[in-house]
Amino acid sequence: MAGIEFPAELQKRMEETAPVDLLVGVTGAVDVEALRVKVGRLRGLALDGEGSHPSRIAVAYAGVDSDDPVTVTEEGVLLARYPMPAAAGEMNLWRDVSNVQRNVLALAAGWQARACMVVYSDLAALEPETVRTFAEPVLKGGIDLLMPIYPAGKYDALINKSLLAPMSRALYGRRVRWPLTADFCAGAKMLEKLADGSRVKSEAGLLWPANLVAMQGGQINQAGLNVRHAPPGEGLDLNAVVRELVGSLFEEAEANAALWQRTRASQPATRYGDPYPLVEQEEPVDTRPMVESFVIASQNLEEVWRLVLPPATVLELKRMARLAPEQFRLADAVWARIVYDFALAHRMRRVSRTHVLGALTPLYLGWVAGYVQEVSGATAQEAERRVDQLAKVFEEQKPYLVSRWRWPERAV
Amino acid sequence: MAGAGSVRKEGKTMWNQIGQALHDSMARVMTQIARLLPGILAFIVALVILMVLGWLFAALLRWVLTAMKFDERIGRATGSIAELSPQHTPTMIMTRLLFWCFVVLGVLVGLSAFGASSAEPGVPEYIFAYVPHLISAAVLLFVGNVLARFLSRSVLIGAVNLNLTYARLLALGVKWLVLVLTVAMVLDHLNIGGVIVDLAFGILFGGIVLALALAVGLGSRDLVSRSLERETAKPAEAPAEQQKVRHF
Repeated sequence: MAGIEFPAELQKRMEETAPVDLLVGVTGAVDVEALRVKVGRLRGLALDGEGSHPSRIAVAYAGVDSDDPVTVTEEGVLLARYPMPAAAGEMNLWRDVSNVQRNVLALAAGWQARACMVVYSDLAALEPETVRTFAEPVLKGGIDLLMPIYPAGKYDALINKSLLAPMSRALYGRRVRWPLTADFCAGAKMLEKLADGSRVKSEAGLLWPANLVAMQGGQINQAGLNVRHAPPGEGLDLNAVVRELVGSLFEEAEANAALWQRTRASQPATRYGDPYPLVEQEEPVDTRPMVESFVIASQNLEEVWRLVLPPATVLELKRMARLAPEQFRLADAVWARIVYDFALAHRMRRVSRTHVLGALTPLYLGWVAGYVQEVSGATAQEAERRVDQLAKVFEEQKPYLVSRWRWPERAV
Repeated sequence: MAGAGSVRKEGKTMWNQIGQALHDSMARVMTQIARLLPGILAFIVALVILMVLGWLFAALLRWVLTAMKFDERIGRATGSIAELSPQHTPTMIMTRLLFWCFVVLGVLVGLSAFGASSAEPGVPEYIFAYVPHLISAAVLLFVGNVLARFLSRSVLIGAVNLNLTYARLLALGVKWLVLVLTVAMVLDHLNIGGVIVDLAFGILFGGIVLALALAVGLGSRDLVSRSLERETAKPAEAPAEQQKVRHF
């Protein structure tokens, strides 16, 4: 079971009650009473028949108790407790969530579940309609992975829009809006592969479900999910967030280089259900602090940037630092190449990895400043198109990454 | 006339004595060199042989470690080493370590051979006793350099991400503090300078700290006050801006 061991009692009860149609795994500790109320609403849910035959559903949550680890609720749903994996440390944003997600997926594999829906510990996604939207395509349609599309305003999830999603799309060839999510549903074929955390070298490896399934050639679809989770790791500074999320993506790129270099153009990931709701944000944002961060970095970090970026890009950045704040823009192609150059420097260890990612943070703020100024008068829909355009540029620039990855010492 | 002849004769004798003394000392030096030459040659031969052996064994070790995918296997454990010295892979460090072990061994064998073939027993013993100091001083210098570079860059990047305009000054200060500390430790280890080094280090270290304090307090007063004002003003502004722009 992908190297994750469960207590013998839980293992025994799983074998006795296996198989199940769907395991809904809650990632983290929850309010058990609130969970029982939510589980009660799943009564009689038929996910892969014509509606007459209720599916066999198990819901798992993190907790320790001396009683039976698997109980059956009045509604006929199996309720299981699994031990919470050890925390990865206080200063982390997504590592703990990823570790628990892997545990839930391993639990589903052990339970011989036909599908596993991972839901965040706030239980916002544990609603019958949401479970149906996510599990039905997997159970009935044979989809390998269903990813959510969260409602987001034009100034939301900027690290995802500017880097995580476009780079994942360019590398792994799937147009997935949110490659790192709190909620998703995976089919039986993918459970063990997703639960296996031994591919990456560091312990900080996050779980990128869409990228992993894309590398297995699996079918990925998307569905709107109208929930907004409060992000974990409140109070973490931007540098720590960049270090964890971008560092993990770069590490995955290094581990899977042989696979993504073969991937050419991207494929769309079909969307289910109604178009996802977009949040309109009208309030103007002051970009001066971000531009200022970029300018300070360009005055001080040139020696580090020169170790990572080619001279032409450093010159372009110096030119930008002289622009007036209102004219500040980081061209998409330049930004894409910067990200690729940093991925390469991360792999080559030209500078220590902590320093590579630290030196990227002000550049990211530069991109944010330019983007915010560009979309300040646009609607959320127009901003989405702008983000899509950036993702296309990441794809267009992929040959640059492939070439530099193969011949890192060649002059550009 | 007889007196003049006697003086001339005495002068001639003196020149003869000087010539004899020079000749004798020359002969002694040549004899000493002739005695040392086999020792020096033995030292060079021993060093060259062990360097060649070291190079061969290092190449063999590199081949074995590469075949074993050593870097990948211990990737997790060496994360912190790689952070400090990113351009050195574990394989490279191991092979270089082996090579330099052979070089040190060559020096020691050479010195021993030098001692055996030399009539001066005191010199090799003295050098033997000094070799461990030299090795530890070299290690200290290397570690100090790596640490200075790493800490300086960490401070620079950290300060830039805190929007401190005097980031480079801070980084430079940290770098020189570590370097000065390293050099003082190295000299102390080599027993060079004695109290003077301690004194000079104290003055230099204190001087750097004072210079930094003066630079921050007086020279860059406006710059620092602007930075600090911005920092103190941040908490009031940040929450509003943070609510508008969400990174994750």
